[in-house]
Amino acid sequence: MNNYIEKNILPLVTKPITYLGNEVNAVHKTPHEKMIRFAFAFPDTYEVGMSHLGMKILYGLLNEEADIWCERVFAPWVDMEEQLIKNNLPLYGLESMMPLNEYDFVGFTLQYEMSFSNVLNMLKLGHITLEAKERQEGEPFVIAGGPCAYNPEPLSDFIDFYVIGEGEEVILKIMESYRRWKKTNGKRIDFLRMVAEIEGVYVPAFYEVTYDDATGVIKSFLPIVEEAPKTIRKQFINDLDASYFPEKIVVSYTETVHDRISYEIFRGCGRGCRFCQAGMIYRPTREKTVSTIQSKIRALVDATGYDEVSLSSLSTGDYSEIETLIKNLVDEYEDQKVSISLPSLRIDSLSIEMLEEIQKVRKAGLTLAPEAGTQRMRDVINKGVTEENLLDTVHTAFEKGWGHVKLYFMIGLPGETDEDIEGIADLGQKTVDEYMKIDKEQRNKSLKVVLSTSSFVPKPFTPFQWMGQNTQEEFKKKQRQLKASIKDRKISYSWHDSGVSFLEAVFARGDRRLGQVLKKANEKGCRFDGWGEHFQLEKWNEAFAEAGIDPEFYALRNRDYDEMLPWDFIDTGVKKEFLKAEALKALEALTTPYCPENCSNCGIMEFKKGWKCHV
Amino acid sequence: MSKIQYQFKRSTPLRFLSHLDQQRLFQRAFRRANLPIEYSQGFNPHPKMSFALAMSVGLTSDCEYGEVNVSEDLNSDEFLARMNAALPNGLQIVNAKVCEEGTSSLSSSIEKSYYLLKVKLVPEMSFLRLDEIIKSYLELTDIKMEKRNKKGKMVEKNIRPFIESIAVYQLDGESDRVNIEMTLTYIDQQCVKPERVLESINSLYGGAFIVDPTIECHRQKLLLKADF
Repeated sequence: MNNYIEKNILPLVTKPITYLGNEVNAVHKTPHEKMIRFAFAFPDTYEVGMSHLGMKILYGLLNEEADIWCERVFAPWVDMEEQLIKNNLPLYGLESMMPLNEYDFVGFTLQYEMSFSNVLNMLKLGHITLEAKERQEGEPFVIAGGPCAYNPEPLSDFIDFYVIGEGEEVILKIMESYRRWKKTNGKRIDFLRMVAEIEGVYVPAFYEVTYDDATGVIKSFLPIVEEAPKTIRKQFINDLDASYFPEKIVVSYTETVHDRISYEIFRGCGRGCRFCQAGMIYRPTREKTVSTIQSKIRALVDATGYDEVSLSSLSTGDYSEIETLIKNLVDEYEDQKVSISLPSLRIDSLSIEMLEEIQKVRKAGLTLAPEAGTQRMRDVINKGVTEENLLDTVHTAFEKGWGHVKLYFMIGLPGETDEDIEGIADLGQKTVDEYMKIDKEQRNKSLKVVLSTSSFVPKPFTPFQWMGQNTQEEFKKKQRQLKASIKDRKISYSWHDSGVSFLEAVFARGDRRLGQVLKKANEKGCRFDGWGEHFQLEKWNEAFAEAGIDPEFYALRNRDYDEMLPWDFIDTGVKKEFLKAEALKALEALTTPYCPENCSNCGIMEFKKGWKCHV
Repeated sequence: MSKIQYQFKRSTPLRFLSHLDQQRLFQRAFRRANLPIEYSQGFNPHPKMSFALAMSVGLTSDCEYGEVNVSEDLNSDEFLARMNAALPNGLQIVNAKVCEEGTSSLSSSIEKSYYLLKVKLVPEMSFLRLDEIIKSYLELTDIKMEKRNKKGKMVEKNIRPFIESIAVYQLDGESDRVNIEMTLTYIDQQCVKPERVLESINSLYGGAFIVDPTIECHRQKLLLKADF
């Protein structure tokens, strides 16, 4: 198969080198009978998937085990898909080019809802039975994890089991169970019963859901086998500093979305933005030490040859020793011309000083995320950023020669008024005014302010999980209103397609009844929904209609605080009462302090014995 | 500060690299090999390196050339050993030399390229007929072809001066495929791609070869004006 594909198929597709699995640091092993074959599947393109940190960690971790070979598989681009189908060839794992259906495990990472259709498509292309309950003995176990696994229900027809929370420790327990199960010559069901007992593992087939006939909401959600716990506790690693991180990562030949070393300096975030799922599910905040970070980055630079290291986290400027870390890294890599970059900085002038110090930026683009246009709305979402912060920041940036500023906002936030929409335009105008205050000699010759809005999608395990999304008409009206409020030609406006956001909202807060919709959408050819040119809302609407499901039930409805939510059986450590209290505070635009300043008792400290935040 | 010129091979595993991919790969290999590479100034420092030719996607080659500036004196054997340890399977440096100052750039000294192509024939084409076609083709003195000029505009150009020789060989047991050896000459750093030559034969003789991306194209040798 290998040689045939290389000679006859790859020459016909774009980026053929991404289908060969022979990159620097890709792991190749000699297979044997007892070897566990694991395909780590990323349900999007190679360029997107290769930028994902979690895959690198689990790929390294699993391959440390002598009897496990973890390989990678991505969603083939449409031209490759066409060739595979035309030649009746299955989708394959990159390193060995073995057909996907011959692996022991196919493990998907679920990073965003719009990749769900790709999960189904990859299973189909891999010649794996789509529905978990119909899978035969000898077929792979299809497993999944990642942030979207926190509401596993929409995909639960297709996934044998999920890992909820951080996978580093759980995955090895699963592998250990598999070794034991293999020796017993057991059935699929026996293995599922074994893993159901591992903390953090969710086997959807072992739960029964009933619905209220009148309202359609969930009436009960109960385990039907004794191995399955009533509540699934998310897993997190106590000692992140000592946790596994690979010293070698695969270096892509083609340019990836984040074409650099991405090194995680801390996990979690204590800011408590109310729309942000990551900020809640990844609690508690855990930092790595400066010395660990430096020595790991050293090894990674030596093993990969990358010329850029990004210090990743949910809010990099919040790292307690950020200045020391940056100074040390800049000194260490100056001669080798390895640059340091900081994603996800909060809005404050300090950030600009840091950027100025470290980056080779051509002062072209500076991206900031105030998220909302008025102070009231920023308090509603608990963004913790003031207009003064923002204007100080852009002022400093303009002083230092930046001329292009991009400001990110969300529209459709709970309790939004016309004033909040106009506030976005207003903030754009005030940004222009700051630029004008700077001396002509000092400032950049040209100015461009881009306002960008995305449509708010309420997510599980956030204080806004009960809130309905705006209708597409409302979004469009708000987009028009904002566009009309912009008077200055230096300001431009771009927005996200509201149809995509609608579908995202359906699946973010959906339940297992959506499995039938996914199946129908897959039959209609839906995939790559996150890629504008392949998103077909009409097809999705047909799929909903044929499945007899009203998507608005999931996306638009405000839910009662006492309604049983599809993801209620998962315990993230952040209590539902805390989320509710936050939702009520949002209604009154009351803010909640940053965790290290004042603990608001989210629940994570009681969740795990012996855990203490910020000590 | 000196310049190192090197000769390298690219084989099947990495034949699908684009020119940019390959550039990136070498930049990273230089860093993995921990070589004292010289960088450009400015916000976005880049290693001072280049290739004699941009390789097209799919091409394998026994003979490519590249050069790189180094900031400290470096022995050519050490360069070769360290680079080969850092390069992935599919790229290999076979020769390296430290250049004297004022050595002209590689790209200006390319003279000829020797290709070996494996090409499928259109169904009704016999080897005998093909032999006649090639003979007749090479007798032409003016072969017009649309070609992109340096400014990117399509112009009609005579490609005959670029073609030194074309020889066709039958493959054992294969009637639908032939090997073609083609020697192409560079004139003012310009040449024609071997696939384009096949296309031009097709258009003059009503179709002989199946010209699609599955053609296997291999460079056997790249002749430089100065000895390497």
